[in-house]
Amino acid sequence: MTETSNEKVIEKELSFGPVHPALIEPYRIRLFVNDEIVEDCEININMAYRGIEKLLDGIPVEKALIITERICGICSHVHAWNSVRVIEGGLGIEVPERANYIRVLTQEFQRITSHLIFFGHAFEVIGHETLSMRAFLLREQFMDLLQYLGGNRVMPSVPIIGGIRPRADLTESLKKTILDRCDAFEDKYANYVQRVLDDPLVISRINGIGLLTKEDAIKYHATGPTGRASGWRYDLRADMNEYKPFDFNIIVLDGCDTKDRVVDRALEVVESLKIIRQIVKNIPEGPVVNRNWVAKEMPFTTAYSESYRGELMHTYGLDHQGLVRNYQVRTPTITNLAAMEHACIGDHVTEAILTIASCDPCLTCCTRAEVVESGKSRTMTDYEIVRKYGWRR
Amino acid sequence: MTLKSTSRKKAIHVMLCYTGGCNGCDIEVVNALLSPRYDLEQYGVMLTWNPREADVLIVSGVVTWQMLEPLKKIYSLIPEPKAVVAVGACACNGNVYKNLVGDIKVNEDVWAPVENIIPVDVKVPGCAPRPEEIIQGAVKGLPKLMGAP
Repeated sequence: MTETSNEKVIEKELSFGPVHPALIEPYRIRLFVNDEIVEDCEININMAYRGIEKLLDGIPVEKALIITERICGICSHVHAWNSVRVIEGGLGIEVPERANYIRVLTQEFQRITSHLIFFGHAFEVIGHETLSMRAFLLREQFMDLLQYLGGNRVMPSVPIIGGIRPRADLTESLKKTILDRCDAFEDKYANYVQRVLDDPLVISRINGIGLLTKEDAIKYHATGPTGRASGWRYDLRADMNEYKPFDFNIIVLDGCDTKDRVVDRALEVVESLKIIRQIVKNIPEGPVVNRNWVAKEMPFTTAYSESYRGELMHTYGLDHQGLVRNYQVRTPTITNLAAMEHACIGDHVTEAILTIASCDPCLTCCTRAEVVESGKSRTMTDYEIVRKYGWRR
Repeated sequence: MTLKSTSRKKAIHVMLCYTGGCNGCDIEVVNALLSPRYDLEQYGVMLTWNPREADVLIVSGVVTWQMLEPLKKIYSLIPEPKAVVAVGACACNGNVYKNLVGDIKVNEDVWAPVENIIPVDVKVPGCAPRPEEIIQGAVKGLPKLMGAP
């Protein structure tokens, strides 16, 4: 910056959090603004660190499942499912076909509720309270279905190792309820989305802001609907064995802005409904759980799954006693964070929170242990130590 | 009944302080207070984000190290009389994160229960509690506010 210029521009910092009306979850945002235009953005996520990796170290796998489900309260099923998939892949436990169908069913129920929370939050940030309330009202139908299936609205606890809990089995009366609710939901939801897209006020707030080009999305590894709205065709459901029997489309849009991130999620709900109908129609008869397995020594195994916000990774190994060692979780938000920070840059300061909300952050489940690098020295994580020296040092 | 308590009855303001749980109770509280099905606003109970306006403080989640000072500060900013409702098993006893009956030792990264930090009037157990139970808990805290001169 030249000092000769008359109007000396001072870079100003605007920081909110951790408790603030605009942020439901505790996190801290620092916006570096220049004349109300965001020049840089920094998100500090470390407010909800609970030490989950430390808790999971050295406990039996069945107990670990209870804790992994409580990593996140919105995507509780996918965390439980993915931690079960690790041991099923590592020890070669066979899962009955009927159990897989019911796991996918719960996954799609929660995908719909998660996307509707997104609408509720995003329209609250815009300031359109009616659309926000209608999203919460629509969501209640699927919260009821989760309660009928699993017994709890938030933590259905459906998967266990080798199948699903027998109490979460799909009965004939529940099948009828699901189909009725889906039909009723589809009409109301179509009206809702039409109302959103026809509203000039909403469109003027979300159209053309928060640009994230395809190159940037790939560079920062934006996963899930955030990456797909930037034209990057990346959905793990296309490759997962559990999703092989179902016919559905992967929604890819190339608008790269906040509007497309909203529309992408809106269309994904319709695809989820399609999968739910196919499950109820085609579900095979048979047992729901396979109990012929023993926990024994298992090398590190990784499972990837398509969560509601993107790609989710779980990794752990079992030692010679069958206890969990070195649990690692990578949630989708942690890779989306850099994309969020990048998408804010260049817009007006009022749109920054909306852009961050449009990437659907779940900051509590992405708070993980960190490796601190200072200068040349770098502390090793336990995972790296075991990789290098083995269990019984 | 004095004028103050009569007017207070018509406008109870609830503040939600989220101190690092799993997001489940948090969404259920917002659901109970705002959403059209479990509408608490029809009884004159409103959600606010300003501690100076609030009468009832709802705390959800285990208290992490980073949220300890903000929670104390928010509690001190709420004018008397005030009621505190601890929502969820995390706020009541620490749930799985505290590792109370665990194999190894108690987790020292969390400060739960909330009672250790600020006085709690009502506890709503459950993981996650149903919206009906949260409404019941918020109503149980009201006599403390009404009895004030």
